[in-house]
Amino acid sequence: MSIIQIENLKKTYRETEVEVHAVNGIDLSFESGEFAAIVGPSGSGKTTLLNMIGGLDSPTEGKIIINNTNIGNLNASQIIDFRLWNIGFVFQSYNLIPVLTAKENVEFIMHLQGRKKQEREQRTKDLLTSVGLGDRLNSRPSQLSGGQQQRVAVARALASKPKFVLADEPTANLDSKSTENLLDIMEKLNRDENITFIFSTHDARVVKKARRVITIEDGKVVSDEVK
Amino acid sequence: MNTLNLQMAWRNIWRNKLRSTVVIAAITVGLFGGLAASGIMKGMVVDMIDNALENTVSHIQIHDERFIDNNEVGFFIKNSSNLIRQIQSVPEVAAVCERTKAFGMASTASKALGVMINGIEPDKEKKVTKIYTKLTDSISTYFTSSKKNRILISQKLANKLNAKVKSKIVLTFQDYDGNLTGASFKVEGIFKTQNAMFDEQNVFVRKKDLDRLLDMPANTSHEIAIMLKDYHKTSIVLDKLKKITSYYIEPWNKIDPYLELTTSLTGFMLLIFMTVILLALGFAIVNTMLMVILERTKELGMIMAIGMNKRKVFIMIMQETTMLTLTGGILGILISIIFTTYFGRVGIGISGVAQGFEALGYSSVMYPQLSFTDYLQVIAMVLITGVISSIFPTIRAIKMRPAEAVRMD
Repeated sequence: MSIIQIENLKKTYRETEVEVHAVNGIDLSFESGEFAAIVGPSGSGKTTLLNMIGGLDSPTEGKIIINNTNIGNLNASQIIDFRLWNIGFVFQSYNLIPVLTAKENVEFIMHLQGRKKQEREQRTKDLLTSVGLGDRLNSRPSQLSGGQQQRVAVARALASKPKFVLADEPTANLDSKSTENLLDIMEKLNRDENITFIFSTHDARVVKKARRVITIEDGKVVSDEVK
Repeated sequence: MNTLNLQMAWRNIWRNKLRSTVVIAAITVGLFGGLAASGIMKGMVVDMIDNALENTVSHIQIHDERFIDNNEVGFFIKNSSNLIRQIQSVPEVAAVCERTKAFGMASTASKALGVMINGIEPDKEKKVTKIYTKLTDSISTYFTSSKKNRILISQKLANKLNAKVKSKIVLTFQDYDGNLTGASFKVEGIFKTQNAMFDEQNVFVRKKDLDRLLDMPANTSHEIAIMLKDYHKTSIVLDKLKKITSYYIEPWNKIDPYLELTTSLTGFMLLIFMTVILLALGFAIVNTMLMVILERTKELGMIMAIGMNKRKVFIMIMQETTMLTLTGGILGILISIIFTTYFGRVGIGISGVAQGFEALGYSSVMYPQLSFTDYLQVIAMVLITGVISSIFPTIRAIKMRPAEAVRMD
């Protein structure tokens, strides 16, 4: 059963006199446990598509149904709450909170959910251990390498027990060793815990690991290949 | 409010140490300046009131009401000793004394000046007023001589009349029958209070000398002055006295309305003073927090993206602003407490402008003081400033679009 259903999705920007169709009629669906990459050249609309799936941006036309909820019908406050409980985010430039330690960064989202202290602490420890940072719980982001920061970001994305994780160019700022390490961790989490990952990327290493590759050009899906 | 949020707010303050230190220092110095000035002002006023109560006004006075209007010798309190006995039986009363009063001229060979002649009973007067502690030199005494017609004058009057201890001063006044009378008095002592105006206008003689010269009926006086154990109980004692006598009873704040006016005016000034300071600081805080929001656009966008709702973002920024403001506020208040405690004990001398201050009834040494309520009031004002200052930056923060904010570089 699909956890994400996208129907005739369109996003048009009218910032100048010329209309820009960033996403121009996309129909897609994602099943639980997928490890999918959305690829395409810069400006092809992959980030806009990801933002709309994540409820960070609203479509001009079409609908996105996540777990039987049409997120277009949710108001501003409901969509924030929806993101908190259903979607995990990994950003290109890690976006960790610099004043919090690795442990606190992961715990932060569970604080927002109002989870109990004992559960928060146990889950944080488990997640950071699973991304290979069990010994860096009390390190601040500035004390971690780029690859380590992105692994903390993955742990944070998973802390809320989301239905799926959206990762926008997660390897763009990483060297090849860190990229490989991060992809291995995400692949393992996908395989062992059936966590759904959807990437937007133009990194060939991510494409190589992905089991499904969706190519977008000019706001349209030009290929959707399952390996 | 959870611990992580508070820790985050505190750590965020110190992300830009220089900027936060400057803002905290501005709040600290601003509050200290305001509180120190207010403390000095309040200390001066309290000192002035204490001086006025202890040296001149006392807590309650009783007169024949007509005497208040025209000070005629004939408007006196009859059977005053009996009334005094009754007053002394009121538990809240600490001391009572009676006075005969007459307007007259004090003259020496060089000059004549109008004065209020206060006829006192020295031993009883000592328990009510502190003039006996205000003698200026070692040869001055407070009616220790048993000889009649001795007078106590102020330093200021002595200078004007060109008189000194043992000088002769002639007092001239109207007696009970309206005849002009007078006598020569020998200066026994020279005093100096902190109220130059009072000093210039008042002289003290023994009541029995003045009664004799005025030809006053026995067992009468023009004024009964009462000191209470606690002046906050003035209104309670007033009610009790009204049941004892029908003479005109006045509390200190009616005898000298200027005292009460000054007290309330000081409180109001403190409020205005602190409001202006905090308003100015508020703008600095708003500016700082706007810069903070601008610098952290990406981070705020991220936390909104992952699921922090607007209410929580609002609270987070507000906590940070309030914490920043309170840090400066508490430091300012602590320094003010040290300042007022130390100088409240040792005093701040203002010899350069002492004459002008004393002419207005203020002491030439300032003892700053602020009450616990004053500090509480300022803390509340600091908190309000913090909360109000955070509103505008917070609104800017929650208007942010997470999708745009997270992609900012």
